Amino acid sequence: MKDELQNYLDRPKRYENIDGTGEMAMGVMMLSFALVCYLSRALPEGWGKNGLATFVEFILVVFIPIWTFQHWGVKAIKQRFTWPRTGYVACRCSGLRWWTVLIAGVALGAGFGYLMVLARRSHALSLERAVWMVVLLAAYAFFVLRWSREHTWKWLVLIFMALGLLGIALVVPGGAVESFPPAALFLGLAWLGSGLGTLYLYIHHTQLPAPEGA
Amino acid sequence: MNDQLRAISGLDRVIHEPGRLMIVALLAVVKECDFLYLLHETEMSNGNLSSHLARLEGAGYIEVEKTYRGKVPLTLLRLTRAGRAAFEDYRKALKAAFLAARSVRESTL
Repeated sequence: MKDELQNYLDRPKRYENIDGTGEMAMGVMMLSFALVCYLSRALPEGWGKNGLATFVEFILVVFIPIWTFQHWGVKAIKQRFTWPRTGYVACRCSGLRWWTVLIAGVALGAGFGYLMVLARRSHALSLERAVWMVVLLAAYAFFVLRWSREHTWKWLVLIFMALGLLGIALVVPGGAVESFPPAALFLGLAWLGSGLGTLYLYIHHTQLPAPEGA
Repeated sequence: MNDQLRAISGLDRVIHEPGRLMIVALLAVVKECDFLYLLHETEMSNGNLSSHLARLEGAGYIEVEKTYRGKVPLTLLRLTRAGRAAFEDYRKALKAAFLAARSVRESTL
C-alpha cells in the first residue's frame, strides 16, 4: 500500500541526500576508480601481476579516499551545515540492510575486478561497454527517481550524463576497457557536481533556525 | 457494518491524532533524531510539537534524552519498543479497516 503514510516512512531515506553528500560520495568513488585505472596505465609493465602491489594500490587509491570522505567529509558537512539547519537523524539499519550493503559491495568489487581482468585482454566487446554504461547510468537514474520530487533539475543531469557517456563511447576507440577511465572520470565529476549543486541549493534555501528565546 | 470496519473505533487515539501520527511515523523508521529534525519534517510550531511529544512520552511510546553536542543543547528522540508495537498495530488495524470498507462498497454496487 503506497499511501501517504508510506510516503512519510520513506522521508528519512530521502533526507540522507538532502545536502548532496550521497551524490558526492558516489562522485568520489567514481573518481577513485578512474584514478586507479589511469595509475595502472602509468605504472611499469608487470606491476599488475603482483597481487600484493595491486592490493596496496587499490587500498591507497580507492579505499582510503572513499572511506576518508565517508567518515570525515560527510560528517563535516553534516555537522557544519545540515544538523544545525534541518536537524540530526540516525537511520535505523536492520539486518537486511546490512546484508544488502555487503552484497552490493561484493557485486561492485566483482564488477570492478571483471573490468580489471578485461583490461588485460585485447578483444573487449562493444556490447560489454554498452551494458556497463547502462548500469552506470541506471545508478544515477535510481538517485534521480528518489529525489526528483525535490530537485527536478536532476533529470537534466541524467540527460547530460547519458549524452556524455554516448560521446565518450563514440570518441574513445576500443572496447569497454579503453572507455572506462574517461567514463568514470566524467561520471565522477558529474556526480560530484550534482552533489555540490544540491549542497549549494540546500544552504541557500534553508535558513538557520532562530535561537531559543529569540 | 462488519467487525473489521467497526475496529476503527478501537484505533489507538494517542497515535491516531494526525500530528502525533506524523511524529510516530517519522520515528518508526529512524534509530533516533533530534527535535529540530521533527520540527523541520512536520512543519509544526515548537509549542505544538512539544505538547505532542509530551503526550507520546506520557503514553510510553517515545523516550526523550536531553544531551549536548559540544555546548549546544540537543534533544534526542526515539521510539520505545511499546511505541513501535503500537504503531505496527495501528497500521494493521487501519489497513484492515480500509480493506473492509472497500469490500462493503463493492458489495453494495
